[in-house]
Amino acid sequence: MRHFRTLLAHELRTALLSWNTWAAAALFLALMGGIHFFALLEGSRIASERTPVEATLWFFWLPLLCVLPLLTMRSFAEERRSGTLSALLTTPASTAAVVWSKFLSAWAVWVTFWLLFTLFPLLVQQRLGTPGETRLSDPSVLWGGLCFIAVSGLLHVAIGILCSCVTRSSALAALLAFISLLALTAAGGAMESLPIESWTWLSWLHEPAAHLRTFAHLQDFAAGILDSRPIVLYGTGTLLCLGLAVLAVEGQE
Amino acid sequence: MNAATPSPEAAVVAERLTKRYGSLTAIEDLSFSVAPGEIVGFLGPNGAGKSTTMRILSGTMSGTSGRAAIWGVSVALDPAGAKRNMAYMPENNPLPEDMRVEEYLTLRAKLKDVAADRVEERVQRVMEDCDLARRAAGRLIGQLSKGFRQRVGIADALLAEPKVVILDEPTIGLDPHQILGIRDLIRSLRGKMAVLISSHILHEVEQVCDKVVIINRGRLVAQGRTEDLRRELLPDCSFTVTTKADEATLLAACLRCEPKATLTPLTATTSDWNTFRVSLPANSPARDSLAAGLAIAGIPLREIAEIRYGLEDIFLAATRRTPTESPRS
Repeated sequence: MRHFRTLLAHELRTALLSWNTWAAAALFLALMGGIHFFALLEGSRIASERTPVEATLWFFWLPLLCVLPLLTMRSFAEERRSGTLSALLTTPASTAAVVWSKFLSAWAVWVTFWLLFTLFPLLVQQRLGTPGETRLSDPSVLWGGLCFIAVSGLLHVAIGILCSCVTRSSALAALLAFISLLALTAAGGAMESLPIESWTWLSWLHEPAAHLRTFAHLQDFAAGILDSRPIVLYGTGTLLCLGLAVLAVEGQE
Repeated sequence: MNAATPSPEAAVVAERLTKRYGSLTAIEDLSFSVAPGEIVGFLGPNGAGKSTTMRILSGTMSGTSGRAAIWGVSVALDPAGAKRNMAYMPENNPLPEDMRVEEYLTLRAKLKDVAADRVEERVQRVMEDCDLARRAAGRLIGQLSKGFRQRVGIADALLAEPKVVILDEPTIGLDPHQILGIRDLIRSLRGKMAVLISSHILHEVEQVCDKVVIINRGRLVAQGRTEDLRRELLPDCSFTVTTKADEATLLAACLRCEPKATLTPLTATTSDWNTFRVSLPANSPARDSLAAGLAIAGIPLREIAEIRYGLEDIFLAATRRTPTESPRS
């Protein structure tokens, strides 16, 4: 545990001082700022049931696919390429402590990015809104959506970490993470759009596919519905990915 | 930090270590040991399996079969326990470029279980010992010269006062001054830590190490003290003789001392004085009486000296006698 704390502090410091993190932060804020701006414009032109914040959060997949791989790609790939991972593993620190520290550090940075995003709707509300009015920014939707980002982010970051464990190339790690996250995000919707129920040999897949609907999870969280099933899904998926990451690091070293 | 641990007979034990990569065998049935406080040179040609062996001993790679133990702790069964007693500096000494030396060593000290109240003291101590304190403590590792980077690697290895230090090519790429510094530093560890050091600079190993282990093509070909190996591998003895006598006269005198003696001219006979190499068979009694025998025979001598075989000769002799059946498929 002592090693884990030391490693986590080191990883957070490294993330804070890394140009990579700042570049990812800039890209993230530019993306989300732009999306929120257009959501506000759209909201001012057409009356909609969805608030601009809700419409912006609906685009969470864009930074997920473009920014998250940038945060996780170097975590193991770069250290393996430079050899510093081998040096780290000559200490009594366990592989699991190394993997978990990198994971939690990347997750903390990811959640921090989203907390920074909240400045946009809060500033808009402060400048343009009136007290008690939720048309511009509904706090319950905002914080519910952020809870979804934090919970699903556990699995998303774990996937990025796992992808970084299996290669020495940061670029390849980012590409693998992009493909994996795209598949995960689109899987539920794609499987639902297929006429699975009419295919008797695949009918058993209908129920599990319904649990993979990422956008439905976001909708539930934003509406304040706390369903334990997605939490279990993201939690177990995270543990599985990190377990595989530990095996991958131990196997390659 | 391990002061209370009773001293085992061997600080490092490799017992029938084998490592295979598919059909390729990197090392096979490799057995040797390093006693506590002993400095042992680990030698072999490129690709002999030195780094593989060191990585298995350090716990960063698992062997296919055999047993590796550090200070009595099995590396495979209790890797964390073995690592607590050991420090390993890999061949290319990978270091994070974006950390400052003091900061890096502090992190490593914490990861190596140095007591929290001793971290600062130990970091300062190793920086003093490795001549880093004044010139490099606050600098980014990425900006350091090769010599200073090696010093950082060695300082890291000494941080937790381990019982065993494994150094893979610690002087590679250093200039002669830096090599001298590192050599003195390693020498100062004698009696305090068991050191297993691989190097291509055989002269350096000969100067620093109590014992050598020589491997070739993944197999052990010789191990022991340099003197013992010299007797075992190069039992014959040779002398250089500088004389005014011609080759035939000198050979006749030598044959009177030892009937199996051979003579080889070493320098061109452009002046009055010529130099020859006189070779005697193993355990020849003439080894002690050749000089006297030549003097009695009236050979005008300017110099006679026994040729001392160096580690380089021992290494070449040992690697030549590698078993013919290669372990590498």
